[in-house]
Amino acid sequence: MIKHHPKIELLQSFIQGDLPASLSAGVAIHADLCSVCQQKIAQLTEHTAQVNFEEAFLDRFIVDDSAAIENIDVAHFDKMIAEITESNDVDTPEPVIEKTVTFKNSQYTLPTVLNNMVLSKTAHIGNLARARVQLNENEIHTSLLHIEPGGGVPEHTHKGFELTVLLAGSFHDEQGDYVKGDFIMLNGSVQHHPISDNGCLCYTVANDALHFTQGINKLLNPIGTFIY
Amino acid sequence: MMTVLQTNLLSKNTKATPCTMSDELDHTQLCQWLNAVGKMRDKQAFTHLFKFFGPKIQRISQNKLSNHAQANEVVQITMSNVWRKAHLFNESKGAATTWVYTVMRNVTFDLLRKVQGNKEDNLSDDIWPIVESVSAEEEAFDDHLENKQLLTVIDLLPEDQQQVVKGFYLMEMSQEQLAKHLNVPIGTIKSRLRLALAKLKMQLGENHD
Repeated sequence: MIKHHPKIELLQSFIQGDLPASLSAGVAIHADLCSVCQQKIAQLTEHTAQVNFEEAFLDRFIVDDSAAIENIDVAHFDKMIAEITESNDVDTPEPVIEKTVTFKNSQYTLPTVLNNMVLSKTAHIGNLARARVQLNENEIHTSLLHIEPGGGVPEHTHKGFELTVLLAGSFHDEQGDYVKGDFIMLNGSVQHHPISDNGCLCYTVANDALHFTQGINKLLNPIGTFIY
Repeated sequence: MMTVLQTNLLSKNTKATPCTMSDELDHTQLCQWLNAVGKMRDKQAFTHLFKFFGPKIQRISQNKLSNHAQANEVVQITMSNVWRKAHLFNESKGAATTWVYTVMRNVTFDLLRKVQGNKEDNLSDDIWPIVESVSAEEEAFDDHLENKQLLTVIDLLPEDQQQVVKGFYLMEMSQEQLAKHLNVPIGTIKSRLRLALAKLKMQLGENHD
């Protein structure tokens, strides 16, 4: 059962379109598998929409030159209406195609939200395989991370945040066990050592390299960059 | 030392109260306009929608993007999407305000990604799909086909009679609502309806009444 969910503040930013694509997709993947969050999102959207289109809310935005802006735009709007309604085309949504991704001879169905994102070639180190999701978000890096059975990531910390959404399989760390759909957001102060006994596939978003903290493992710090 | 940031939402109260409808938003009216655009390509209903949402979308976008040209672009693309996607609106799934909000949010998201030098990849419809399920879409399509034959006959009527017939029979608006919507006396609505029905009877033959 899914036990780890996004915080309500994160859901609110999500429905307002304020999160980067990487985190938005993470929330969408989780919500696809979690009816509790689906319902929260529906309620927040309904509420936010209503508040946004009420005059009282909009009046807060009124600045000195708003009257001038509206005068200009009445004529502009009439032109827009005429142009838009000139065309009789309607949008027919394209059927959703199921895409798959293969790691170490195992095939996984890709969450539909990732269907139109570009994946880089898979890179391997030991038990880990990583395909970068190319979202061009500067310091924010997004990946699909595959851990083979018995594999794991050495004890590490992060300077920024690290989001993990479990797409398949399971893993555990000092905090507990995680299953498909779990949404695990860690901040910079966290040290953990995830291990996957039976293998797993994760969607990960991080905004800084992993930093290995223990003895000989410090030699692994290049892997931190690899995973990030 | 270890801090896990996520919270179990089950244990949290949400402040969202979707059933509380505000006094100033006429949800039934907005819903009718959106259906009229979706089912009948009703330009007048679209104009009403534009006059209601356009200036609001512009103010919201102006606040979010701090750029007048981009705010106008959001209005233009959002309302254009409303015109082309209104047939996908399903009133049983939520209010018209929610539907228009999601269209606006998606347009803004894609525009911001483009402006911020990322990519022109229009990911918003994958993150927040407008169509919820295929079955809902198929139902709408069936309705559409059924109406099509009748619509071709109705299209032969004069414009003012068409509006009344479509509003009364296809949109299930009351004569009072139509009078208000078209800004004419209720007597005019009644006489237009009478004239239109007489003509339709002739067109379709006596067996169709």
